[in-house]
Amino acid sequence: MADVGRHPRIELLAYSEVDNVTGYVGNFTVTVRKKARYVDVAECTACGDCEDVCPVTAPDEFEIGLATRKAIYQPFPQAVPSAYVLNIDECLGNNPIACGKCLEACDKDCIDYDDEDELVDIEVGTILVCVGMDVYDPTTLDEFGYTRYENVITSLEFERLINSGGPTRGHLIRMTDREQPRTVAFIQCVGSRDASRGNPYCSNFCCMNTVKDCLLIKDHYPDVDIKVFYMDIRAFGKGFEDLFQRSKEAGTVYIRGIPGEIEEDPETKSLRLYVETTTEGGVNCHEVDMAVLSVGAVPKRDSDMIQRLLTLQRSQDGFFLEAHPKLKPVDAATQGIFFAGCAESPKDIKDSVTQASAAVGRANRLMMQGEVKVEAITSTVIPDLCKSCGICVKVCPYNAISCDTKAKTPAVVVEAACAGCGACSAECPFGAITMKHFTDSQIDAQIDAMLSDNPQDKVLAFACNWCSYSGADLAGTNRFQYPANVRLIRTMCSGRVDKRFVLRAFAMGAPIVLVSGCHFADCHYINAVHWTQRRVEKLWDELEKKGIRPERLQLEWISAAEGQKFATVMRAVEELRQKVTRDEIEHTRKVLADVLEPTGVVA
Amino acid sequence: MATREEGDEKLRVGVFVCQCGLNIAGTVDCEAVAEFAETLDDVAVVFNNRYTCSEPGQLEVKKAIQEHDLNRVVVASCSPLMHEPTFRAVLAEAGLNPYLLEMANLREHCSWVHMGEPDKATDKAKDLVKMAVARARRLRAQKEMVVPIRQKALVIGGGVAGIQASLDLADAGYQVYLVEKEPSIGGIMAQIDKTYPTMDCSI
Amino acid sequence: MAEEAKFCCLRCGAEFLLPYTPGVTEERTCPNCGSNSVRRKKDK
Ligand SMILES: Cc1cc2nc3c(=O)[nH]c(=O)nc-3n(C[C@H](O)[C@H](O)[C@H](O)COP(=O)(O)OP(=O)(O)OC[C@H]3O[C@@H](n4cnc5c(N)ncnc54)[C@H](O)[C@@H]3O)c2cc1C
Ligand code: SF4
Ligand code: SF4
Ligand code: SF4
Ligand SMILES: [Zn+2]
Repeated sequence: MADVGRHPRIELLAYSEVDNVTGYVGNFTVTVRKKARYVDVAECTACGDCEDVCPVTAPDEFEIGLATRKAIYQPFPQAVPSAYVLNIDECLGNNPIACGKCLEACDKDCIDYDDEDELVDIEVGTILVCVGMDVYDPTTLDEFGYTRYENVITSLEFERLINSGGPTRGHLIRMTDREQPRTVAFIQCVGSRDASRGNPYCSNFCCMNTVKDCLLIKDHYPDVDIKVFYMDIRAFGKGFEDLFQRSKEAGTVYIRGIPGEIEEDPETKSLRLYVETTTEGGVNCHEVDMAVLSVGAVPKRDSDMIQRLLTLQRSQDGFFLEAHPKLKPVDAATQGIFFAGCAESPKDIKDSVTQASAAVGRANRLMMQGEVKVEAITSTVIPDLCKSCGICVKVCPYNAISCDTKAKTPAVVVEAACAGCGACSAECPFGAITMKHFTDSQIDAQIDAMLSDNPQDKVLAFACNWCSYSGADLAGTNRFQYPANVRLIRTMCSGRVDKRFVLRAFAMGAPIVLVSGCHFADCHYINAVHWTQRRVEKLWDELEKKGIRPERLQLEWISAAEGQKFATVMRAVEELRQKVTRDEIEHTRKVLADVLEPTGVVA
Repeated sequence: MATREEGDEKLRVGVFVCQCGLNIAGTVDCEAVAEFAETLDDVAVVFNNRYTCSEPGQLEVKKAIQEHDLNRVVVASCSPLMHEPTFRAVLAEAGLNPYLLEMANLREHCSWVHMGEPDKATDKAKDLVKMAVARARRLRAQKEMVVPIRQKALVIGGGVAGIQASLDLADAGYQVYLVEKEPSIGGIMAQIDKTYPTMDCSI
Repeated sequence: MAEEAKFCCLRCGAEFLLPYTPGVTEERTCPNCGSNSVRRKKDK
């Protein structure tokens, strides 16, 4: 940790958050908010004189409330940067009557009550997302009585209890009487592996953490009885089985079964655990002095902010989604962005470190080349067709288009800023914008090829590259079976799906057309998906006016992680297809015949 | 009006139907798909490979581009999200602009999801190839923009993962900005006493 | 308080109320079948 503070090439921006991100691979501009710390990091020597005089006490977050700290404090002794921070909400204020004591006490003059947040822009080529995890809050699992019973604690609180730098200087005590417990129970999988009441996934580190804790207890207090209640012990890593066996040899008793209820003895404050075990059968009662809940990992609480700023995707479990589960495990789908640690999935330190080095390898591979090619999928304005209406300017999520509506000069696209969603192209009322590599004529050709024979048997589905198309791929890798009548046309973003394409498909005899894209929070193009929805809503009205059942145009948001949903949607659209009659299709063909007439636009 | 756009040379599309071992061929009749592909407009040559992405498979594509003077390539195999970069590189090596490639996804979107319906899967595969050829015929060469990459990295989060990443990057010579939202770096690891598997101090 | 409006599902036909603010585009899901083909009913 201290190496980070010392390294000449690392600028540590602690107590800071990412406020905004613009740009693209190789050229990101990131706005960082340095939160007001009220203490000058460069000047503070962490002498602690301020802390001694501060009259305010508050619960210590680092000790998870097991101890108190002052309003001006250092998070923990080895903190990096080694500097104090003042919590202004707790501080009584720099007012001679109120307080101002720390200012007086500080020789270095590094306290400033008027400190303010500061915004700094930094320019980088790559971004590594290492935002980690939070631990599961077991308060909702009423049967364990966490927060109701003082002697029920979480595994993270337990870590502080046995830490020599912690509130008890490492002495194992129980909370109610500050006595050393004679029996300790560990309950595994709290918040994990239970889809209905916690999270469906295994949190990966909690089994081994308990094995470790048992060994630590047995080292210092050989007489303490330990019972571990579990579903399975997952000791799969290198050297793990050995530790597990050692903990058994040291006397830890492993009992297969998770307690259904914990009851507190009102007098002794000891706990009774009622457990149905597979080994013993029937419900048994175990009496212990304290119980440790082995809490699992949950996605970092403000992940959605980082997700939005960097246009990332997340798996169904809420952790960040890698570009490919096997072949690109640390790459984000967005070029130039990588993941490491628990941000991607729950894992232990060794795996977090391994992944960090892997992510650096990938980032290095990009940066060392000095330059990068960006896909040539951008928009181009055809000046002759542009009527300078300015609509595209409003549509573009990247502000990549400018247009002087007063001077009536044609719109101009800044190629470097265009991300290639194609929303502008679909929204331009005059067909004045074309997309390189996803031209109207190419997509028309695909529609025509698909529907030129037996259209009544087929469903045409537009799928966006990043989410729906990947979701369809995932359905494939998982072998989720669905009817064979659907054919996909890939566009980069569902925002590219021009109203004309949909009408053309119906004019060619398509019974059902599906437009599918990313969930709003997953949109790879900031918010281009909003245009998809608006366009489809307008199309429903237009179809209805023309006497075409709007039901025949379906809309679905399918993420890259939703292979199952993709298959379900495919079954649903096939059911809808079967209800579309031949007469209906013929009627639609007639109503929309003019759509197929050449427009003269060579796009 | 099937107008041929300006500057178009005579189209010569090569179609490579991949069996992917039995992954595709186990469900889809690749032979029939290949035969069908031959009937499509502007298709100059059709191959039926066991593994198009393998070294010999790639060589075959390259050779075919040169020998048959192909100017559009359709690879009917797996997902483009997986192998588009692979085959684009093959085109480039053979002297063709990489954007003159189109893929038809016969595996993830067909053989793997219609395993009980070989006939329907084969019909669908034909359609997918037909659509791919139709698009390929209208593909145009594209020029990729080359942008410089800044030799600087941002690491968001200073837990073990972020710390390790920052140190590795900085040691490799890059300027690193490490943004941590708490007053100190360390993350969860800093709160832990001894850590498995080594049972030593965490910090 | 967000206003509510009547919506119908174009997959299963269910009708239901959902929060609605004019001019705001939101992701909507049919509470009956899970489809996103959710259309606002214009007639009152
Ligand atoms: C009780 C318990 C015991 C454990 N015991 C062990 C053990 O013995 N051995 C072992 O190998 N593993 C153990 N683990 C697992 C270990 O803690 C994790 O593997 C490790 O902490 C993961 O590191 P990380 O950097 O990915 O995430 P974190 O440790 O969660 O760090 C993430 C960092 O990013 C910061 N951050 C988050 N969001 C933002 C943002 N938006 N902007 C800026 N900064 C942000 C956070 O403040 C934090 O500092 C244990 C875990 C728990 C809960
Ligand atoms: S690591 Fe062990 S305790 Fe944690 S969720 Fe997985 S099985 Fe349960
Ligand atoms: S929307 Fe079309 S017509 Fe209007 S300014 Fe943009 S390019 Fe021109
Ligand atoms: S709307 Fe999309 S395609 Fe159009 S200029 Fe903006 S980013 Fe590019
Ligand atoms: Zn429904």
